[in-house]
Amino acid sequence: MSQRALILVAIVILVALVGGVLGIEALRRLMNPASPSGEVTLSPGDTPIYLDEQLVAGFGPADLDQLETVSFVDAEKGKLQQGRLLPDVLPLHMDADVLMPEWSIVVSSSSQGTSAQLTWAEVNNEANMVMLSLTNRGTLKLVSLLEALDTREEWVVDADKIEIFSP
Amino acid sequence: MKERYFSTFQLILLAMLAALIVVAKIALRLPIRTPGHSGVFWMGIIIVAAGLVPKPGATSVVGLTSGVIAAFLGMGDLGAINTLLSYTMVGVGADLALLLLRNPENLVVAALAGAFGHMSKFLVKWALGILLGAPVGLVALGLAWTLVGYIIFGALGGLLGGLTLAALRRAGFFAYLAEKR
Repeated sequence: MSQRALILVAIVILVALVGGVLGIEALRRLMNPASPSGEVTLSPGDTPIYLDEQLVAGFGPADLDQLETVSFVDAEKGKLQQGRLLPDVLPLHMDADVLMPEWSIVVSSSSQGTSAQLTWAEVNNEANMVMLSLTNRGTLKLVSLLEALDTREEWVVDADKIEIFSP
Repeated sequence: MKERYFSTFQLILLAMLAALIVVAKIALRLPIRTPGHSGVFWMGIIIVAAGLVPKPGATSVVGLTSGVIAAFLGMGDLGAINTLLSYTMVGVGADLALLLLRNPENLVVAALAGAFGHMSKFLVKWALGILLGAPVGLVALGLAWTLVGYIIFGALGGLLGGLTLAALRRAGFFAYLAEKR
């Protein structure tokens, strides 16, 4: 076979692999049992939000795109951190008016085994800049100007779960 | 005496390139917040390895060696197995592509081999995510975009590798290698 034909074969294989991956993902979504009406369903890549251990909402990349981007310069390395404020993210799919200042918000990462616990009062204070920022790999990280969350060691990298606990 | 598949010189060359992949992963940073962007660095090195040691299996050796080094250094955020497998598959994927396409000095071939190699890394992360329920760690931008990002950055890296090989040939490096072999 000529080099050109081999290149074409390789491109076809590459396209077939991409199609295979996307097809399997589509199948996985279809095979998820349909949820009863009113039950929250999450798509792959969505970050779930639990209220007192009940799944109440989830948000995905498209949701974040709707929100205003905010930024601050982190004190540790002086780098610009950009993202979306957590108090803007939560009301996207849930009634944030029910949240009381003393309620706990726990953002955790199952892959890193890390988490941060804040009160809604801290999260909802814009001066604290509690925000979800994109990592270089496209995952979410929780960063803030709050003292308990202002260094890389304290950030919640690869955040994939938000839990809200009422007292 | 039976001749070994890789000479000692070739193995040293491949090991150095494997170490270079790990160093590049640690030291080089692109200010691009897109999954897969580091493929620009390591697919370039993989394609250079394929050109310098033009034998099937050369890039797999580089991938496996860099995977072992990276796993021992605790690199990657989804565990040592994930790191070892994804680094290894970068080399294996490029090797398989080059078995078909052959000449990594052809820029189209280099780009395609880079895309295949880097996509193999994505497939490892994706498959582990499905099989083990482990967080894929790259889905925040959507699976399709992530996949496209891996392919594009892998192809760019491959292209860079192909251009490097062309520059090395012009500089007479291949003549030097022929003497060493």
